Amino acid sequence: MTKKYDAIIIGAGVIGCPIAYELAKMGYKTLTVDKLSDAGEGSTAASCAIVRAHYSTVDGVAMAYEGFKYWLDWKKYLDNVEDEKGLAKYMNTGSILIKSQGHDWRKVQSNYDAVGVTYEEWDVDKIKEKVPVYDMHEFWPVKRPEDPDFFNEPTKMLEGAIFCPEGGYMSDPALSAHNIMRAAEAKGSEFIFNAEVVAVRSENNQVLGITLKDGTDIDAPVVVNVAGPHSYKINQMAAGVYEECNIKTKALRHEVMHCPAPEGYDYLKDGYHTSDGDVGCYYRPEVGNMFLIGSEDPECDPQEWVDPDVFYAGKETYVRNNQLTVEQWNAQTYRCARRVSDMAIPNQPRGVCDLYDCSDDWIPIYDKSSMQGFYMAIGSSGNQYKNAPVAGSMMAELIDKCEKGYDHDKEPLQYTLPHIGRKIDVGFFSRNREINYNSSFSVNG
Amino acid sequence: MKKIAVLIEIRDGKLKPSNLGVCSAAHESGGECIAFLLEGNAADAAATLQEYGIEKVVEIFTTHGAASWNPEVWAEAIIQAMVYYEIHALLGLASMQGKDLLARVAARLEAPLLMDCIAVNLVRHTAKKSQFSGKAIAEFKTCGDYHVYGIRPNALTAVPAPCRAAVESFKASTGSPGLSVKNLQPGLANDIDLTEANVIISGGRGMENGDNFNLLHACAQTISAAVGASRAAVDAGWVSHALQVGQTGKTVSPKVYIACGISGSVQHFAGMKTAGIIIAINKDPHAAIMSKCDYAVCANLFDIVPALTRKLRKPHKGSK
Amino acid sequence: MNIYVCVKHVPDTAATIRVGADYRIDEDITFIMNPYDENAVEEAVRLKKRMAGAEVIAVTLGKAAAEATLRSALAMGADRAILVRSDKHHDCITTAGALCAAIRQDGNPDLIFTGRESIDAEGFQTMYRMGVNLGIPVASNVIAFDMDGQRVSVISEMEAGEHACLEMTTPCIIGAGKGLNQPSYPKLPDILQARKKTITVIDEEQSGTHSSASRVETVILEIASEERQPEALEGSAEEIADAIVGILRNEAKVLMNS
Repeated sequence: MTKKYDAIIIGAGVIGCPIAYELAKMGYKTLTVDKLSDAGEGSTAASCAIVRAHYSTVDGVAMAYEGFKYWLDWKKYLDNVEDEKGLAKYMNTGSILIKSQGHDWRKVQSNYDAVGVTYEEWDVDKIKEKVPVYDMHEFWPVKRPEDPDFFNEPTKMLEGAIFCPEGGYMSDPALSAHNIMRAAEAKGSEFIFNAEVVAVRSENNQVLGITLKDGTDIDAPVVVNVAGPHSYKINQMAAGVYEECNIKTKALRHEVMHCPAPEGYDYLKDGYHTSDGDVGCYYRPEVGNMFLIGSEDPECDPQEWVDPDVFYAGKETYVRNNQLTVEQWNAQTYRCARRVSDMAIPNQPRGVCDLYDCSDDWIPIYDKSSMQGFYMAIGSSGNQYKNAPVAGSMMAELIDKCEKGYDHDKEPLQYTLPHIGRKIDVGFFSRNREINYNSSFSVNG
Repeated sequence: MKKIAVLIEIRDGKLKPSNLGVCSAAHESGGECIAFLLEGNAADAAATLQEYGIEKVVEIFTTHGAASWNPEVWAEAIIQAMVYYEIHALLGLASMQGKDLLARVAARLEAPLLMDCIAVNLVRHTAKKSQFSGKAIAEFKTCGDYHVYGIRPNALTAVPAPCRAAVESFKASTGSPGLSVKNLQPGLANDIDLTEANVIISGGRGMENGDNFNLLHACAQTISAAVGASRAAVDAGWVSHALQVGQTGKTVSPKVYIACGISGSVQHFAGMKTAGIIIAINKDPHAAIMSKCDYAVCANLFDIVPALTRKLRKPHKGSK
Repeated sequence: MNIYVCVKHVPDTAATIRVGADYRIDEDITFIMNPYDENAVEEAVRLKKRMAGAEVIAVTLGKAAAEATLRSALAMGADRAILVRSDKHHDCITTAGALCAAIRQDGNPDLIFTGRESIDAEGFQTMYRMGVNLGIPVASNVIAFDMDGQRVSVISEMEAGEHACLEMTTPCIIGAGKGLNQPSYPKLPDILQARKKTITVIDEEQSGTHSSASRVETVILEIASEERQPEALEGSAEEIADAIVGILRNEAKVLMNS
């Protein structure tokens, strides 16, 4: 028997769940399918879940700033839904953006001014006062420890930083997606798990529905691809869609390290999320008074594009690909330790290895497609977690408008960010855009 | 006919039950089986051991007397007894004491030693044991004049094979050891040996704090079970490292392992994967342990454990 | 005073193990210093800080890649290191022989620290064989260490919380347990310094191989199966507790009927 819904969302991650939630609120009967066993168990679970406003584009900043409003009042966003697993917590640490050659921080600053983001400018003394464990020398350019110059003594000091008092991270990213799922369910949304999509069916360029691995057909006039690292595979299932997109997505292997904070420094309590282009890292506190150290993808680091099915299969069947490597462990921890020189570096790598769903210009695609009824929210490139609730609302509006006949390709939708009242051009996230060279081409977005 | 000796372990004056599986392994080989006893009452021990194929119980005395435990003295005495009784294979428990003593014996004899075996074949001189923290199982063959095997407690089943065991004593003449034992501090009275226990009730991160481990202790007490813990609980400072089961803790093989609020990391499994029956109690149906156990209880351990304690406290009735 | 620390380069506890030809594992995985050896290095370095003129020498037997573990030991505070290079597979008997030969060749040991076990081979014996080889006493699973002149006192952890206080004179071998100390991991300047410290590489043949009639041969090595078919126990807390009692009684037969 074929089941029928108004919309099918492929992927119950932190972006798929809000899309389901917002559509449900608009009266759509939605079904979210995920090949894993629960909401947020895919690459969402491995997200660093950082909430910060600095992006290299004005719309990027605006969207992220809008996102804060949701995280700050999480209960309200969820419409006070109960989750038996508890609610994810937003940890507001404040966010430091180091002024360095590694970031176009002047552009970020002008974006902040344009959007009205609250920030302070900190000089080196102020930083030392706030974060005594930081060594504010300049270490640029970013190098690998194999490079003989890596350990060169620094000679210059950095200029300072831009500090946003609003910024931090969500304590449990998988749980946050689970929370949104429960909120969506309260509005009548349905979710099924362990359900892998093997076909996107269409006729006369109108999407008809999906077929699951077990042979089940599910019909809906709307199908949304929010498949994370599998997004390109889903696009390939929808006739003509993958070929039609000017911007493509693929899966990038990525490692995040956990390293104990210097002795005597309560990083969990006193620390700040920090974006540090000077050493190509971002770091934030993690449970156990750890530094969670991510990479800002400096040019000297190799990029490893992988088949997500092979990668995730490795989690069960012993493939090296999803384990931390000593080389990258050394690269990321040593870089961070240039800034935090008292940080102890364990002999055993500890952290997380997962995938980014990465677009050609590291800016996501929030768009329709040439196939009627087929939409995509993909290419989050490791930097869209914070935007998830905004993306959900924006995608729902885009879908609703297009289903009612609006031609988004001809005249891109202008989406009003409800909290900050600013309009953003959804065409910015078009699948058909030219590569945006204003992008940082990194996790910074 | 080849002769095999089993090094018997005594705890609190009593024969450890796990000795019997080791005796059965020795008996299975078809050779003559002798038990070496370093402490405890030989007649009592013989009464039990003869039910499991032991034909002779040798009470070993050292120049230093029977009571003073010193692993170097004991190792020397065991070797003298092995020579005297023409023993070519020595088996013992891979307990803390066995790991120390058997290794000393093997080192002095320059005999091959396989420690923590989960199967042994004394005809072919092969044994199976875990490698890479339990991720792999290897079968090894030992070559040499002597063979020494430490058996993981409870890994081998005791099979009754009644015979009559004679009791003899053997007086070793032991030299002065390089190691002196100043004193032995016993563990807490209520501590049940983790590696020896038939049933282990373990707590992990889900226990929430150290006080809640009292729930596990209360439950364990009703059936003389031991209490264990995951690394997360030890690292959090809730219980001592002595209770840790896993890669950097104890390796256990109880008949039943009840994991309460333990997610079941690879490292934890390294320490308990050979348990007979694994019962997992966890709120999270997706915890790794829930798919790698025999019985999965998806519920709040704070509801289940007290209920279980109440049931076990009542006199056990015959029916289900 | 010469303090030697024997360390081992082993697969990361998080690494997944694959078995290839000749029952060797696929070594394209992350390797680390054997976790118990970290406690051994830490204790050696702490002792050195108390003893003027003491030197800590890390020793390992292994392939060229094992240098990484020696660098870790150097970063943790060892002064120099010796790599006994060998591409062969070793059992505990030849490992102990090779380590002792390298130590003898290097100097007179006052103390040798090592971890109580390696997490890969789980052999539990190399230090005892070294003790016999060098004719010196051994204490393992040590959770407290003290030294006064030539007198060494240790506490060794036994069964079920039992502790034994042992005394020896130097030279002797200490097998470190986890409870011995909390290893303090190196900081970046330590790692930088470690890059400049000397690692002497000696070929196993040069150091004099130990021949023995005794050996251990691998018959088979295979990945442990983790197959269990979980059965869900459902119902009220009372019902579940009843079910568990039933399992304890009827299936596991661990309840004595009274």
